[in-house]
Amino acid sequence: MYSLELDKIIYEIKERKAKQVLIQLPDGLKKEANKIIDSIEKNTEAKAFLWLTDCFGACDLPLGLDILKIDLMIQFGHNRYWKTKEW
Amino acid sequence: MTEIIFIDAKWEGEIKLEKKLEDYLNKNKIKSLALFASVQFSDVNNLIKEIKNKNIKVNITKAKRTSKPMQILGCDTYHDSFDLPVLDESDAILYVGDGYFHPKALLLAQIKNKKIKPVIMWNPISKVIQILDEKIIQEQIKRYKRNLKMFISADTIGILVTIKPGQNYFQTAKRLKEFLEKQDKKAYIFIDNNLDLRHLENYPFIKAWVNTACPRIGTDDIVNIKQPLINLKEASNPVKALEELEFRN
Repeated sequence: MYSLELDKIIYEIKERKAKQVLIQLPDGLKKEANKIIDSIEKNTEAKAFLWLTDCFGACDLPLGLDILKIDLMIQFGHNRYWKTKEW
Repeated sequence: MTEIIFIDAKWEGEIKLEKKLEDYLNKNKIKSLALFASVQFSDVNNLIKEIKNKNIKVNITKAKRTSKPMQILGCDTYHDSFDLPVLDESDAILYVGDGYFHPKALLLAQIKNKKIKPVIMWNPISKVIQILDEKIIQEQIKRYKRNLKMFISADTIGILVTIKPGQNYFQTAKRLKEFLEKQDKKAYIFIDNNLDLRHLENYPFIKAWVNTACPRIGTDDIVNIKQPLINLKEASNPVKALEELEFRN
């Protein structure tokens, strides 16, 4: 019902030569998580992982992914967020 | 460094002017609409065309933090969150999407207005119209006014800062601490990732709190805690903020 754009994801992973990818999903799309991971594992060499909990918006990106050597994070259900300088 | 990309996850159905929605607009003699949608439902060109064909003006603006005009985020909760005053200038507000989180922001953005225009919610999946009116935010407004009063008289303030990059206002929090301490209040800054308000009870010496992260913490979550908490935007002039809400019961 919602477009997961799996072809685009596969393209981006290959284009960026990403080795480790993290998928972050809002609650409504979490039930589709296996489809996304299965597609990445089938069509690319990358290892793919899931963020377990909250994904309130594009303002809510996990920190410290460098420690795990995550090359690419793909957040679903949101688009780019423009943080204001002041509140 | 980790690269980031976003996938809109657009709804794959067609969004058009269904009879139910058309009948509602006719029945209520609506001549102009402020149109908003969440990103999944933002392909609304056909809908706009069909609404315009009914001689209804469609007003569109861009909210400050969004990427696209017409898109609404949960944090667009202030009157000045939008480039254009379409909420004031339209007969009604139409939100296309599902869930209450985003359209509720459109009510919160009007709380300083004498009249809060209801939001017509059109869910293209269930094809259901719902009217979201000020009743849904009444308890929050009441609590916010109480919190402002308690903040004004509090001598010890806790300032909450998140490390989430999109919501991090650490520098502003430090400036606020200085500002408050010039007014003979003592302020402490608390830092975390997710701001779980259950932890506030561990600091009984704090008499009132200021949230510097997502504004919805200061509007939605305050009804679930007993400690007074206000948002950063009101912390520099809580008296003015209270005066602006004084007429609202």
